[in-house]
Amino acid sequence: MNAATPLIIALVGALIGASFLGWTFRQQGYRMEFGALIGIAAGVVGALLFMMPLDFCMFQAEPDPLFKIDSVDVIFGIMLIAIGLAIVLLPVAAIVRWRASRRSSELLADANAVVPGAFKSRWMPIVLLIPTIAILALFLYYPSLDTIRLSTLLARLGAPRTAFVCVDNYTSLVSNPEYIRSIGITFFIGIAVVVIGLVLSLLIATMAYQPLTGARIYRTLLIWPYAISPAVAGIIFLLMFNPAGGIINYFLDRVGIAPVGWLNDPVAAPWAVIIASIWKSMGFNILFYIAGLQNVPKDLQESAAIDGANVVQRFWYVVIPLLSPITFFLVITNLTYAFFETFGTIDYLTGGGPLKSTMTLMYRVYEVGVVTNDLGKGAAQSIVLFLIVVGLTIFQFGSSGRRVNYGA
Amino acid sequence: MKRLFALFILLTFVLTLVPVAAQDATEVKVWIAFTDNRLDWAKAKAEEFNAALPQYNVVVEGYSNYEELFNATQLAAEQNALPAIVQYFEVASQDAIDSGYFKPIADAVGDRTEINGIATNLDDFIGPVAAYYTINGKFNSMPWNTSSAIMFSNQTILDKAGVDAPPTTWAEMDAACEKVMAMSDAPQYCFTWPNHGWFFEQWLAQQDAPFANNDNGRTERATEVAFNNDAGVALLSWLKEEKDKGYLYYSGAQGGDSWGTVDQAFQGQQTAMAVYSSSDTAIYTNTGKENGYEVVASFLPYNQDAPGGWTGNLIGGASLWLVDGLSTEVEDGALSFLFWLTNTQNAAEWHQVTGYMPIRLSAVAELEAAGWFTENPNFIVAANQLSESQKTIATAGALMGNFPAIRNIVTNAIDKVLLTADADPKAILDEAAAEANASLAEYNALSAS
Repeated sequence: MNAATPLIIALVGALIGASFLGWTFRQQGYRMEFGALIGIAAGVVGALLFMMPLDFCMFQAEPDPLFKIDSVDVIFGIMLIAIGLAIVLLPVAAIVRWRASRRSSELLADANAVVPGAFKSRWMPIVLLIPTIAILALFLYYPSLDTIRLSTLLARLGAPRTAFVCVDNYTSLVSNPEYIRSIGITFFIGIAVVVIGLVLSLLIATMAYQPLTGARIYRTLLIWPYAISPAVAGIIFLLMFNPAGGIINYFLDRVGIAPVGWLNDPVAAPWAVIIASIWKSMGFNILFYIAGLQNVPKDLQESAAIDGANVVQRFWYVVIPLLSPITFFLVITNLTYAFFETFGTIDYLTGGGPLKSTMTLMYRVYEVGVVTNDLGKGAAQSIVLFLIVVGLTIFQFGSSGRRVNYGA
Repeated sequence: MKRLFALFILLTFVLTLVPVAAQDATEVKVWIAFTDNRLDWAKAKAEEFNAALPQYNVVVEGYSNYEELFNATQLAAEQNALPAIVQYFEVASQDAIDSGYFKPIADAVGDRTEINGIATNLDDFIGPVAAYYTINGKFNSMPWNTSSAIMFSNQTILDKAGVDAPPTTWAEMDAACEKVMAMSDAPQYCFTWPNHGWFFEQWLAQQDAPFANNDNGRTERATEVAFNNDAGVALLSWLKEEKDKGYLYYSGAQGGDSWGTVDQAFQGQQTAMAVYSSSDTAIYTNTGKENGYEVVASFLPYNQDAPGGWTGNLIGGASLWLVDGLSTEVEDGALSFLFWLTNTQNAAEWHQVTGYMPIRLSAVAELEAAGWFTENPNFIVAANQLSESQKTIATAGALMGNFPAIRNIVTNAIDKVLLTADADPKAILDEAAAEANASLAEYNALSAS
């Protein structure tokens, strides 16, 4: 490694931090020099946040026997510096703005006033939170942080040694066409499961909501599949979908349709997974939609009927908008289900095949991390998957969250 | 309320008593990779053993396949929660040795000739089995379920098609399939096989071709795979040809999941023949009897064009490994159970209820004397196939790190060849070999001493 590299990176961080915080301080009416000083310290910390633990490995000149450095690694390194700066600088800036707004709103005088329903001691809430935070830290945060460490290693379960491989576990994904294909497969299966699943569930829920004799029995039966474990569902569908000897092709044959290679045709196999996954999650969706339908006010529908709206119009313009909070909730839970929990169904049904046509990102993490036993690559891929789902959820809340109608 | 309190006291009393009673016996945990009738058999045997030697409490736990048990064992080792005995499949041998979790049986026995009155007669095992499980001159793990790849034919369908006996070569397979599929009431497909790495290895061994370098990893640690040789290409080309003709049924399932789809296709009479493991000879033969068709077992068909013809087949199945670092009581209990489970009578019974080979010479003699093989000719096929095999580097099988993962790379390559139109077997195998080499290099970098 070039000895100057850490210095240059720290200097760049200091420069960016100084100018950004200096500007922020002046904007909020504080002294700029003071902001610049804090900015230098924060910028150095931010730039080195990821670089120090990684030992600046992506900027080193001489090759390492276990990993190779190319332009992708360098770009990745610059991205990590930028993310590190953002992690440190943005919260500092946010605190400055918050203090400034508090000062200007002149609420400081009332700060000691007793607020009803609040703790008298400021330590009490923290003491009460400690048990929960301790458990979360031990079983969630610590393993998550350890996953980041693991993702920079070549590590195998049961192997006596590990080796540091820089960010190869991440950057090798960019040049891996199979990984890119997996992203597409995941979104295809995920979107199909959510869209088809929710449409079907709403239709069935609407029908089951009709006042029929024995409606309670129908509703109970409709929720049954949800109680079955993904593994059992996978095995049931494996036996049903088996192209030779399976009952689905038998029935297709009876009605004169050519047999479908559900498990050995790369076009049909994702649909086998989609059908099995929808069947599995439908009970949950129907349960929520029936509950939602019970909350749709009868008088709204009646007044729409008086205004001349037919059944379809009433459903489309009255019922569906009133169900939007439930639909929004179900979209998010179903998307999470499609991303993470179809894993069990895929494992028993197709095992990621044929031709890796059902190799979703989650199943790939299992294949790489557990079956192939490559913990480092598995950890890196699970972090990428995590970031995708976080991004997707933020996008969800940003886009459709606003259109959700929670009623008057 | 008083009554409830009394009941509570009583319950606490009973609950504290139960573990005390169980603590008298030394617990010996055994993990095996079966969940079907084979697990039931092992559990019944453990109960018999516990009744005979009440100072031990052998507890058998089942896992759904070898691959899963392999992973579970590694996790348990990480947490210091290994049982006393683990069943490892043959390809995990290198990983098992490198891991240091296990102790060679020969070392544990020492020079004792009996433990708790159970004879430790290691010289009674049949030749190929003893040879396979002897590593570095030491009897390493306890053979238990030993099998070979064979073929089951629905002779009732073959008779109808005018095929008198199951085909023995790839060319004969093709000819037989032509006849079968030409029938008006032909089954959906002619034959099927589980896309499990083991069969690829068997077909390679038949052609006397190695799977890995350094004499299949037996003279020195394997550093590269060799399966992208002519033998591998010939096999994939043949499978592809049969698939394209509509003769071969490939369910799309790979590895441990592939067995079930083959069972379903053959037992539903959707195929006339199934390449399979001799492990299920009993189930295959009996299902045929119950459903009115005759099942004939025969040698695994071979490549008639291979330079040396048929060389032989390799052993398959799994053995029971003794965990290292157990206390003396647990280790002696585990050893007693291992030798008792594989004694003459149990070895013969195990063979009869499953189809795994009778692994003891004395068991073979006993079965022969009782006329078992003349009455059940399907049960001798696997043993004959192994005893007629030549002993070469190829038929000894590969010893290699990360083998379970490399098997998946091989089955993925087969999947790609069979499901891609105009696939080039040589190019796909080369690609798979490169991937396997990278995986092997990573393993060796971390685990080789």
